[in-house]
Amino acid sequence: MVPTMRQEATMLLIHCPYCDKTLPEVEFAYAGEAHIVRPADPAAMSDEAWRDFLFIRTNARGPHFERWRHVHGCARFFNAVRDTVSDRFLATYKAGAPKPDLATLLAETERAR
Amino acid sequence: MSDIAAEPEIGLAFRETGAPVADGAFRVARRGRVERTRRVGFTFDGKPYGALGGDTVASALLANGVHLMGRSFKYHRPRGILSAGSEDANALIGTSRGPGRFEPNTRATMQEVFDGLAAESQNRWPSLGFDIGAINDAIPHLFAAGFYYKTFKWPRPFWHHVYEPVIRAAAGLGRAPHEADPDSYTARYHHTDILVVGAGPAGLAAALAAGRSGARVLLVDEHSEMGGSLLSMPEIGIDARGAWSFLAETLAELASLPNVRLLPRTTAFGYFHQNMVALAERLTDHLASPPDGAPRERLWRVRAREVVLAQGAIEKPLVFDGNDRPAVMLASAARTMLNRYGVLVGEHPAVVTSHDSAYATAFELADAGATIPVIIDARPTVEPVLLDEAARRGIAVATGHTVLGTEGRMRVSGLKIAPVTGGTIGAARAIHCDAVLMSGGWTPSLHLFSHTKASLVWDEDLKTFLPGQSPEACVTAGGGAGHWGIAAALEDGARAGATAAAKVGHLGRVHDFSVEGERVETGATIAALPSRGTRGKAFVDHQNDVTAKDVRLAVREGMRSIEHVKRYTTTGMATDQGKTSNINALLIAAEALGKSPPEVGLTTFRPPYTPTTFGTFANHHAGATFEVTRKTPINGWAEAQGAVFEPVALWRRARYFPRGNETMREAVARECRATREAVGLFDASTLGKIEVVGPDAAEFLNRLYTNPFLKLAPGRCRYGVLLGEDGFIRDDGVIARIAEDRFHVTTTTGGAPRVLTMMEDYLQTEWPDLKVWLTSTTEEWATVALNGPLARAVLAPLVKGLDIAADAFPHMSVAECKVAGVPVRLCRMSFTGELGFEVNVPARHALAVWEAIWTAGQPHGITPYGTETMHVLRAEKGFIIVGQETDGTVTPDDAGLAWAIGKTKRDFVGMRSLARPDLVATGRKQLVGLLTRDPATVLEEGAQLVEEDARPPVPMIGHVTSSYWSETLGRSIALALVKDGRARIGETLYLPMPDTTIAAEVVAPVFYDPDGARFHL
Amino acid sequence: MTTHADGPVALSMADTGARFSLRIGVTPDDLAAAETAFGAPIFATIGARGREAGRESLCLGPDEWVLTAPEADRAPIATAFAGIGAAHPHSLVDISDREIAIDLEGEAVTALLAQGIAIDLDAFPSGHGTRTVYDGITVVLRRDAAHAFRLEAWRSFVPHVWHRLTEGNKELALGI
Repeated sequence: MVPTMRQEATMLLIHCPYCDKTLPEVEFAYAGEAHIVRPADPAAMSDEAWRDFLFIRTNARGPHFERWRHVHGCARFFNAVRDTVSDRFLATYKAGAPKPDLATLLAETERAR
Repeated sequence: MSDIAAEPEIGLAFRETGAPVADGAFRVARRGRVERTRRVGFTFDGKPYGALGGDTVASALLANGVHLMGRSFKYHRPRGILSAGSEDANALIGTSRGPGRFEPNTRATMQEVFDGLAAESQNRWPSLGFDIGAINDAIPHLFAAGFYYKTFKWPRPFWHHVYEPVIRAAAGLGRAPHEADPDSYTARYHHTDILVVGAGPAGLAAALAAGRSGARVLLVDEHSEMGGSLLSMPEIGIDARGAWSFLAETLAELASLPNVRLLPRTTAFGYFHQNMVALAERLTDHLASPPDGAPRERLWRVRAREVVLAQGAIEKPLVFDGNDRPAVMLASAARTMLNRYGVLVGEHPAVVTSHDSAYATAFELADAGATIPVIIDARPTVEPVLLDEAARRGIAVATGHTVLGTEGRMRVSGLKIAPVTGGTIGAARAIHCDAVLMSGGWTPSLHLFSHTKASLVWDEDLKTFLPGQSPEACVTAGGGAGHWGIAAALEDGARAGATAAAKVGHLGRVHDFSVEGERVETGATIAALPSRGTRGKAFVDHQNDVTAKDVRLAVREGMRSIEHVKRYTTTGMATDQGKTSNINALLIAAEALGKSPPEVGLTTFRPPYTPTTFGTFANHHAGATFEVTRKTPINGWAEAQGAVFEPVALWRRARYFPRGNETMREAVARECRATREAVGLFDASTLGKIEVVGPDAAEFLNRLYTNPFLKLAPGRCRYGVLLGEDGFIRDDGVIARIAEDRFHVTTTTGGAPRVLTMMEDYLQTEWPDLKVWLTSTTEEWATVALNGPLARAVLAPLVKGLDIAADAFPHMSVAECKVAGVPVRLCRMSFTGELGFEVNVPARHALAVWEAIWTAGQPHGITPYGTETMHVLRAEKGFIIVGQETDGTVTPDDAGLAWAIGKTKRDFVGMRSLARPDLVATGRKQLVGLLTRDPATVLEEGAQLVEEDARPPVPMIGHVTSSYWSETLGRSIALALVKDGRARIGETLYLPMPDTTIAAEVVAPVFYDPDGARFHL
Repeated sequence: MTTHADGPVALSMADTGARFSLRIGVTPDDLAAAETAFGAPIFATIGARGREAGRESLCLGPDEWVLTAPEADRAPIATAFAGIGAAHPHSLVDISDREIAIDLEGEAVTALLAQGIAIDLDAFPSGHGTRTVYDGITVVLRRDAAHAFRLEAWRSFVPHVWHRLTEGNKELALGI
């Protein structure tokens, strides 16, 4: 949606759950860890809880729930499960959809191979 | 004297006339695929040589009897070719086409000769024949494995200043050119069903099977001609035709298929995620006169659904003392030279082998007129049929023999061989020869396969690694999968092509090839030939000059993994990445460790497969198209006025408009005066603009910005501050309410994409229930800013449909009206402190409106000003610039913007963080003004502030964020972030500079019109 | 710099017309109201285009369309959408001047575009459109026929895109 400069490393193919198309990485932007919801009442939170919301992240080695944006396509933010070791996407799903069960997902991925 | 002068003149005369020189004496009649009738001339180290069309530099030099082509990396040993392909480790040359067009480290076996090519040898001085650096070869222990770790440890500073420069000067490859590269490079994306890498028998069969099925096929090969090993094996019969007829017909059929594309001279150099393979296509390096404007190379980013890797196998050198002398080469190299180029590499070539395949080479060379003095076979027994064939040609075969050393300096002249019985080396005898052809068997080329993070499997029978599992949709076919021979490669390739076609939904049929004239060949794998272990050098890595002794030494010194051995000895780390050496290094290390090769491991192959030019990687992104330059619709006008520009984000903005010989300071002073006293005209088009529309637009902005927006009336504007959730300032801008459900939001120039992304993020993922939508209008509207006490006088006559009198259209108003006949959004606002208007004009009309205002302003002394004057004027008012006064750690309170926080708001982005302990603690840096004691001194931006006029080190308590000469005040001014700054107003602080210390008084950050009266004129 | 023919692909800057960004909910009611206001079909499938009487909608995202029309239709379209705003909240933003369109036609057009576009153009059917990237720049790409495309980019990026396309066209003309 916003012109930003090139990313030459267009290696991955990413399935956009809104477009229902698998498209080159160059159309997408990474957007941090997924399923971190902004608290409804930040004023009610302790300093520690607020710190955790702001800064503490999973830093997974292996499957990682993360956000991507199809920024140069339909412009939607969506969620993905990506293996940070192999760089494989196990699944992508729409923002707001429930977190998929990791064990089921891994079993499905294994079957598909 | 005359002799010395003569040589360059010959070269010069040659270059001028381009007259071909006679082709060489070692060309064999009726052999090879070179064009006998196309004679071309080239020079090597200034000396002219003749060649034929289709020659490489290597084949042409060999045709002329020249084997000495370079000097080695460390020992400066004379070297010729090792192989005839891209894996060659030895014959690296430089090629030149004029200034900036010098290419070092080119493999002579890959560089095609064209008329006028100037090639030169490398790593020698003063000449290839007499090289001072060869002294290194006489001090062997000096450059043994790990020598620099041990020898040059102390004293420490000597490493950088003495040892390293000297070592680097003495050891090395070619020199890089100093000029800018004048060539252009190009790139493209490509999508295919099936990519076949390598056009040898396996690749051709795969491409044929896949191509006939109708699938989209891309077949690439790094050589100028497709065919791979078929080019070197014309004697083989395929489907009742000669191999070359088969090749020609196959290529013709492939070329005729609309779904198949053939790319010769194209190297698949990297295999990346999800079947993205990067190719480098060489477009012009083989042409004597490339077309004007032709790009030199093309980067292909290929996305394939299925990949067939048919890269074949690389012959393995044998490791024996002196196995690097010129004319010691792989047997396959000699076979290729004979059959592809029609060149006999020697009249008396000896053969050293542990594999059957070298026999075919020996027989073919003998049939072409060479006398083979002996075939030395390390194996105790050999198939009788080979011995019979040798006997029929009168060739002696010495089975169970080893090579103890070679003779000859600039070219091999003899061998010392000895029988080996039960591990004991017998009496040596000498063999005279003028070339040595060696074969230690074959190593599958698994480089690209390894790029996919695939597993390799050790095959104990073949004594080599074979492809295992890959996470990518790829298959290795032919020699790469251990299927030796043409028949096996054709069969395996056809199966791979048909299978790949089936996977992409096409019906691929496997064609059964019938192959004649091929025998099944086997061999033994030997780490290094038995030797007496004297002073000789048995090379493992020819390019990095690593010997078998170095590898054994590394093991003795404690290296246990091949990764350690590699780093300690540098084996496999040269530009050829160990294509001919890795497996020998592994076998020797494993033998020394008493382990099996897979236990010692294989080093990882990484892209690129062969050296790839920076030009290919950069491709279009050089010169004018290195980066986008965004220009506003007013840019051309500013250029015509002689503006000086500066880059701001991707934009090019007018910085100031000098008149005559004005300096920047003079021009800016004049522009400032004009704007303060009369009227200035400024192009603010680069500011980001976002249209926020929908019934929940006000609610949305109220949640995002620190300021209250619910009660902002349509027709009014408000300054807004945007924080990150961490409480730090991210952006700011004026927000105009156009209608109940429509806002015109402005952002900083550089922040436009970031702010829109942040807004979309909150809207889509946190508050999807809000009925509001965001549209970037940065480029819909150009913005003409008119500032100064006479601004209204200039603008009013052009305005239709709006009364812009001071009371009717007060400060911070917005309205839609017409200016110079064009519908605009007019804001009354100011970033200078003067009466100001911003005219937002649809971009296509921007220049017309700008010129209308310019013309109308002439009687009032209207003056265009640039970003520098804008910066000075806003600093005089103490207005921050995000990114200059802020650095991602500045809160609204730090910046003196606490007033911009809505007092009754329960929440907005970043609000909770403003109560974080660190953000409410004392000692935070706050924005203040600075007035230097000497009003003429203009501080440096970034200068540090300290409390005392003392010599450093002293605690630094802040830094200057903005500093200018203020023409309005007749003195310098500065803004600074200073620890507890507001409590220090009135204090004197100090700025230690390299040559002096500057004293400055801390003042409030508003220097001019602190009451803001001038806004309201 | 409005037309270019130094290569196999004919390039031309398209005439400026009316262009709007439409954002509206995807309930059938909302879409039907929008279609009526616009006077041409508005499809909910990303990439689909609806055309009638010189007006065209292209679905770029789940709730986003770009509407194009002759210049003379600009005011009537804005008025028609203003009329449905109360019942069908939406955002209609005039972006007629934000982008400039380049028309490309010729048998080599996909080869030219592939110099900067990463998507598989063989799999991009005629009559479709999409937002994508050309050489790092966001563009809207439409395919009108096997060998005819339209590329739109933000105004300040167009000189760069045009330069790349014309240089690329010359490269194609060389046949190497």
